[in-house]
Amino acid sequence: MEELIATLKTQIVEQLNLQHLKAEEIGTDQPLFGEGLGLDSIDALELIVLLQQKYGIKLADPTEGPKVFQTVRSMAEYISSHKAA
Amino acid sequence: MYINGIGCISPQPTFNNQVFLEEIKEYNTNRIYCVDTDYSKFFDVTALRRMSRIVKYGTAAGLIALNDAGIKTPDAISTGTGYGLLELSQRFLRDFISTNEGVVSPTSFIQSTHNTVSSNIALLTACHGHNNTFSQKWFSLESALYDAQFLLKEGKQNVLVGTYEEIGEFNYASLMQTNDLQAEPCSNLAMFSQNNDGVIVGEGAAYFLMAHEQNTTTYCKLKAFKTAHNNENIEILLQEFLAKNNLRNADVDVVMNGMNGDKSNDAVFNTINKNLFEDATQLAYKHLCGEHMTAVSFAIYAIAQIFKQQQIPSTLVLKNAERESNVILLHNKYKSYHSFFIFEKC
Repeated sequence: MEELIATLKTQIVEQLNLQHLKAEEIGTDQPLFGEGLGLDSIDALELIVLLQQKYGIKLADPTEGPKVFQTVRSMAEYISSHKAA
Repeated sequence: MYINGIGCISPQPTFNNQVFLEEIKEYNTNRIYCVDTDYSKFFDVTALRRMSRIVKYGTAAGLIALNDAGIKTPDAISTGTGYGLLELSQRFLRDFISTNEGVVSPTSFIQSTHNTVSSNIALLTACHGHNNTFSQKWFSLESALYDAQFLLKEGKQNVLVGTYEEIGEFNYASLMQTNDLQAEPCSNLAMFSQNNDGVIVGEGAAYFLMAHEQNTTTYCKLKAFKTAHNNENIEILLQEFLAKNNLRNADVDVVMNGMNGDKSNDAVFNTINKNLFEDATQLAYKHLCGEHMTAVSFAIYAIAQIFKQQQIPSTLVLKNAERESNVILLHNKYKSYHSFFIFEKC
């Protein structure tokens, strides 16, 4: 899981072009949206693209989004559970 | 129309209006790219990370021009660009194909609409007025200027007019395929003495705050302009244009030529200069910005600066007649696309 979390942070920085941030500066349990990392709705779409392109996971139910993309850890858990399935 | 503010980002360090072509960049290649400035001075981090290079320098040029004119919100924005954001559009389409029409990144799509730069400027300046982008090949800037002229006649006080162009793989390959590009690397500064075939392609963005009235920030007056898609009778058309604006050949103090280093393109300038403007100062500019569909905007930037700074940098001069710059004629040309402009000192 720790390896996936580290990879995911790097991928988020690349996908969202967060030039002002280093991957390791993103807290694993830091909220991605709002007052956390400050991501917005376009970033949410980019994260959906990331899940599909890098992990082959389609977010079938849009209402799952807020829960899945809450933190890097919640994303990693979602990827782990869906890849295993 | 008066030019009350300018902003230019080009292959030369032109982003600071207090300095006028003091440092000249020499390149030994057939494509010359913009000298970038620190864009974080113009955009916050969130906006910046979604902007491609052309969106950054295009939007920044618009903001520099507005700041220069002391205007926070223009009445309207009118832009001209030949290829626009074609590079980003292609990136989006390539992603679409490579993912088999699956989910693709939305950012390049959002950024690739043809009016992205104009609308970015509008968003950043709260401009809810007329906002349009013209793509008329080598007459794109001229089309935007016609638009501005009409808007000013309709009662707008000012219109932000500008251009942006980038060297993309598509336009570079197109010029290579048609042998319109210089085959061998050549110094841009030696462009006019090499008798070359083909051009050095360039890129850049320039915006101008065009206003109905003169004020303390005014650079000069754009008295008239005209386009001509014709390679015959250009000398006659040019004289008719001057006569229509109550000018004789001898009234022109300075001629800014749109020669681009391609001998087949430039021959006509030698004839016209000899026949019509023998006693005028002769200038050229495309060795500094390269050739592209809206390169003429670099000439307008340079002419505005000549009036404001009251000096002509030596890099522009082909022949110096030592005349005061009161009337400047700009004759731009690429193949059969000609445009003429008259600028007057205020």
